This record gives sequence, structure tokens and C-alpha cells, in this order.
Amino acid sequence: MSFCLDGVGLTHANGFTALADITLRAEQGERIALIGPSGAGKTSLLSLIGTALPATAGRLEVLDFAVDGRLTAKFKPPSQGSSTVATPLDSRLRGNDSRALRARIGTVHQAPPLPGRQRVVTAVLAGKLGQWPVWKSLLSLLHPLDIPGAQAALARVDLADKLFGRCDQLSGGQLQRVGIARVLYQQPDLILADEPVSALDPALALATVKLLVADAAARGATLVASLHAVDLALNNFSRIVGVKAGHIAFDLPSSEVSDALLHELYASEGQELPTLAGEARFSPQAAANDAAIRAACC
Amino acid sequence: MSPNTHDPAARSRLFGTLTALVILWPLFQAAEVKPGALFEAGNLKVIGNFLAAFLPPETGAEFLAFLGKATLETLAIATAGMALAFALAVPLAYLATGAGRERVTLNPLTRSLLTVLRGIPELVWALLFVRVFGLGPAAGVLALGLTYGGMLAKVYAEILESVDPAPARALRHSGACRPLAILYGLIPQASKELASYTVYRWECAIRASVVMGFVGAGGLGQLMDQAMKMLNGGEAASILLTFMLLVFAADGLSGLLRRGLETPPAHRASPFGWRSGLLLLGLPLTIVASFAFLKIGFSELLTAEAGRSIAEFIASFFPLDLSAEWLQKVAKGVWETLAISVVGTLLAAIVGLLLALPRPHAPFAFVLNTLRSVPELVWATITALAVGLGPFAGALALALHTAGVLGRLYAEALDNAPPAPAQALRLAGAPIGLPFLYGTLPGAAPQLIAYTLYRWEMNIRMAAILGFVGAGGLGQLLYFELSLFHYAQASTVIAAMLLLSIAVDQTSTWLRRRMR
Repeated sequence: MSFCLDGVGLTHANGFTALADITLRAEQGERIALIGPSGAGKTSLLSLIGTALPATAGRLEVLDFAVDGRLTAKFKPPSQGSSTVATPLDSRLRGNDSRALRARIGTVHQAPPLPGRQRVVTAVLAGKLGQWPVWKSLLSLLHPLDIPGAQAALARVDLADKLFGRCDQLSGGQLQRVGIARVLYQQPDLILADEPVSALDPALALATVKLLVADAAARGATLVASLHAVDLALNNFSRIVGVKAGHIAFDLPSSEVSDALLHELYASEGQELPTLAGEARFSPQAAANDAAIRAACC
Repeated sequence: MSPNTHDPAARSRLFGTLTALVILWPLFQAAEVKPGALFEAGNLKVIGNFLAAFLPPETGAEFLAFLGKATLETLAIATAGMALAFALAVPLAYLATGAGRERVTLNPLTRSLLTVLRGIPELVWALLFVRVFGLGPAAGVLALGLTYGGMLAKVYAEILESVDPAPARALRHSGACRPLAILYGLIPQASKELASYTVYRWECAIRASVVMGFVGAGGLGQLMDQAMKMLNGGEAASILLTFMLLVFAADGLSGLLRRGLETPPAHRASPFGWRSGLLLLGLPLTIVASFAFLKIGFSELLTAEAGRSIAEFIASFFPLDLSAEWLQKVAKGVWETLAISVVGTLLAAIVGLLLALPRPHAPFAFVLNTLRSVPELVWATITALAVGLGPFAGALALALHTAGVLGRLYAEALDNAPPAPAQALRLAGAPIGLPFLYGTLPGAAPQLIAYTLYRWEMNIRMAAILGFVGAGGLGQLLYFELSLFHYAQASTVIAAMLLLSIAVDQTSTWLRRRMR
């Protein structure tokens, strides 16, 4: 099991409910695309899984760690099978445990969070800060310690020539690919990609998505990517999760995602899409899924 | 793998580090950095006794009356000095700035006048004016007016040059004269920054007028000087507390004013509401009251006799004493002053950064404010007791005050740095401290370095006068020669101060450009 959400909700301090009653489970090595209209809650969902935001309701397990609502996760002994009920230890997840968990999660951010004046090589090497000993990270600020590693990661996104350039000299698309190279270098067990190709042209976007998928497949890592382009999602991912208005609208193998479903998902967006009447047949299915997952998960 | 796996920046980094060490090592030597002196039994005893005498602070009625009068005098000197500085700065800035000009001219004459005004520390001006106008606040007001006039003018000019020139150019092309083009095209863009800087300077002026008394120009500093000379800890404590209250109050008021600038204007035809109206009415009243309180009769300065004595006084400074022997002494003073400023600023940068890191915690903010509220010269009188007279006392004093200033600026800069990069690293499991080093610092570093360098420019001027209280450097030479009426020698020292501060300004500008 890679991660498992059981009835998870996220309500912001201002009262806005971004996500409600999300139940979702992924096995290690699964590759999932999140699709849905803007503002549906895709980024919030990825933030919850990545422990960037604490859930305000429900239960959440990520990579054998139980994460409770206040982001003070509790360690679940890995010896226990995922099908048995987790018995979280009473101690709060200490900084070390939380870092150990996060070091195994790699996030591709929609806006690459790279300091403008940092050199590309340092920005890529920063992917391993959670894994390196502190002395190594400190030393690497004076002189990059794994230049070949950074170069190899950059070469995979076609940016090997920018190795010693500065981040503020790159274009938006190049910067986004540096962010991807950082995650490739990190080699996490769980890759969360939030609109990873939003700044790339179609050809490059396809190649980059294929790269992420191939990397995850080769290493047996789980990949969850939110994508705006539906065709990119359908053609490259085996499982598609449609998110709408803070709920999961459908969760299906890509072969079973019909045009009708997609129109339903994006119904409120864009003039060209026909407005279909809300069909109830998807909700029972989602509910059935929920029950099954809840039984298996926590 | 391509062969290009050698870091091209490695060599220049190594070289830069080595160069810095080669330059810094002799400077640390010259500043006579002896941390051990802080813990010597004899020194500990002196400072211990002195600090023990701080309690209880002096609260005698007679002393409090003195204190109250001195506080008012300090406030009045600051306000009157700022008024003078503003009156001086507006025309000078207009002449010096390239803003609103069709062709860029650098106006070297005005610019060098500004450099001279700024380059000679206000305390040196005060020391000179005391000799012309006698002991009293007039010398302080004039000194403040000249130095701050120069500073304000330079910064006004730079602010006007930094905003978008297109609106003013368009106005000029449609026939407006230069002052109107600036008023309509540039001031609206720059007004907030201009006002904010003026308020900030007024806050500095209060601190500066506090120390004017050390050279006999009235106010709290004069009381402090007496208390320190008699090692009267109780009085010193009361005065220090008053300093801090004054600086905190000025800080609060200036924050209030600057926040007022942030609020969007109300929707009405008149640009003035009751608040700005009150301010416009209150400000001239305060200025007039300040001059009246200080009883400065500028008319006395305008008599023929006063003019003659001023001219004689100025003439006595020329020609400069350029004998090899004296130049050698001055050169040693220059080197020592440079060492004090560099060591003090470096120590301050380290301490300031450490204090700025835990920025949400209140005690650190209080420590920063306390360090900042005590002027360097006052710190120097205390550090001189702790480590003995000499440059190390000066460097320590500079470091203490500057750490407070830089700590606050650093905290602000770090708060303003984009949080996303560090947050992303935290989410990727980076251990404590590393998200800061890899995520926040690269974004904030240019500003931190710029602040430090700006502060160094100010500190070189301060280092030049710390010697007035025995903390080494050029100040000690100047104080000594002036008390012996050796004006020719003194003017060499003043010229050296001026050259040194210009050189430091240039170096700092060059370094800032390099860091960009």
C-alpha cells in the first residue's frame, strides 16, 4: 500500500471546504492521473497526501505512516499488514520520523519553488537534502558534491547544458523541468506531480509525462499527477481519478473513462461542452468503492 | 557523461575566500581583537562594579528635572535639525538628481558637495561648530542639519532616479518645465518611499542628537558623558532607560506614520483628511517650538563680527599639515578605523543573523531593539570599561549597536523572501536548517548583503568618531588635536575621514554590483 485516505476532508480556516469525504487508496507502483476542472481540489488532494496540509477530517496513511489531522503523524510499525487495523503508537511522530517520511515523497510543484539566484546544480541536488547527512548538505553549498548525479538528472529532461546556470536565467518551461529533475534525482517512493507540464509545449509535455511515468515504472514508485490535458492523462496513465467540487467523481481504469463521464466532469467549464444532466449512476459506484476501500484500509 | 562535470565557479570561490582571509586577517590584528580581555579578572571587576551600581537607577527629583530637560532638548535638537536638513535637501536633491532631465547630467558639483556633507560625520561637524558657537544645542542642530541634509538629498535624488522616468519625459515633451514634470510625473510614484525614508531618518536623528552631547552640544548625551566620567552607575542607568524609551517611542511613532502611508487615500476631492491636516498643522508648530525651546538666535550668526570669527576659524584649518611624520600617524589612524568598522560590521552581521533567525520569538525582538536603541558611542563608553580603551572596544561597540540594526533588517528581509522554496524542501524531508540554507537564503542573500554593506558605509563614519571616547582610530587623533588647538593637524584628519568614507562607499557599491 502506498497511501490510503479514509473519509478525509479539508476545511480551511475561513470555512471554505476544499475537500470532503475523500476515500482513495493506491498500491505501491500505481500510476494515477487526477483530472477535473480548475478549483476542484486536485492541488489540495496532492497537498494532503504529501503531508503539506493537515486533513481536518478522516484518516490518512502514507507509506506506512499514519498521519493524523494535525500533521503530527504517528508511526505505524511496518510489520503489521496493511489489512489489519493500524494501532498507532501514542507518541507523536517526532521530527525525525516526519522527515523520514517526507524524504520518500517527491513533489513536482506547479510553480517551481526554486530560488532565482540558486544555481541549477544546487537546486537539483537539494532533492536529496532529506537523505543526505547534514554535513554533506552543508559542504555541498560550498562545492556541489554530486555533479554527475545532477547532470544525469538534468540530461533526462534535456537540460544538461544548464547545469551551472542560474535558475533566474531559465525560462518558465526550463524551470519546470529543473523541478522535475530534482524529483528524478530524489528518487522518492511516491511522486506527487501538480500540473507538472503546465508551462511546456505539447510535444515536450508529452515527452515529460512519459519520462515521469517511465521513471516511476522503472523504480516501482507510485506516481500521482494532476493534469489539465485529458488526453495526456488517458493515454499515459492506467488509472484516472476525476475530481469535482471537492469530491471524487469517478475512479476508473483509463479504458473505462467515457466521453460522457468527461463531459460530466467538466460540465460547468467552457461553453462548447454540452451540459449533461447529473446522472446518479456514478455516485453509487463511487460509494461502493469507498466501502470496499474503507474495509481494506484502516 | 559529458566531460563538463567540473564546477566552473569552484576556482573563483576558492580564490575569493582566500582573498577575503588575506584582507581580513591584518584587519583583525589592527582592531586588536582580544576576546580574552572580556574575561580578564580586572576588567570583569570594573565593569561588574559599574553595572552593579546601575541598580537602583537614580530617581532623585533634582536629577529627574535635569533628565526631563535634557530629553526635551534632545527631541528639539532632532526636530530642528531635521527641519534644517529637509530645507537643505530639497533644493540639493533637485540639483543633484538626473530625474526629469532631458539629457542625463550627473551634476558633479552638487554631488561632491553632498559627498562632503555626508562624508564628515555629524559629530565632527558638531565638534567644529561647538568651537564657533560655543557649547550648546545650536552646534548640534547645525551639525545634524548639514549631515542629514546631505544624506536626505542623496537618497531623494536616488529614489527619483529609480522610478519609471516615462511619465515625466512625456510631460516634458508636451511642454512642462522640469519641476512640474517631476511633481506630476515622478512624485506620485515616489512619494511613499520619500516620506517613509524621511520618517526613518527622523528616527535616526533622535539617536544622533542623543550623542551630540558627548561633544558638548547639549541634550541627553551631555548628561550621559558626565555620568560615565564619574562612573555614576545609577544616573547612567536612568539615562540609558530614557534613551531606550525615547527610541522605542520614536520607533512606534515612525511605524505608525509609515503604516499611515500604506492606507489607500479616502475618496474625496481634497487630498487632506483630518489626520493629514493635523499633521500638516502640528509639524510646523513642533518645528517652531523646537527652535524656540533651544533659544537658537540665528540672527546673531549673521552679524559681521560673527562672520569674521567664522572665517578666521575656517582659515585656521588651512593649510593642511602634510608632513610625512603626521601623515604616517594619520595613515595608522585610517587603518585602525577601517579595522574597527570591518570587524564591528562582521561581528554584527553574525550576531544579527543569529538573532534574526528565530524571528517569531518575542525575547529576541526585545534584545534586538535594546541593542539598537543604545547609540554606538554610548556602547563604546561601556565596552571601554569592559576591555579597556582601544580599537577593540570600538569594534565591540559598533558590533553591539549594528547587530540590533542588522538583526531587524535581516528579519524583515527573511520574512519578505518567498516562502515556497524552503517549504518545498521541508516537504521533501530536509532536516532543520537546510531548507533555510538551500531555499530561503539564496533568495534573501542579495538583500542581506546589501544591508550589511550599507551598514558598513555608515559604520566607517561611526568608527571614525568612536575615538572621541577613547576607542581608537581617527577620532582619537582628531579629539586630541582639537583640544590642543592644532587645527592644521586636525584638518588633515578630517580630510582623511572624508577620503576614507568615500573609498568605503565606492568599495561597497562595487561589491554590491558584483554580488548582483
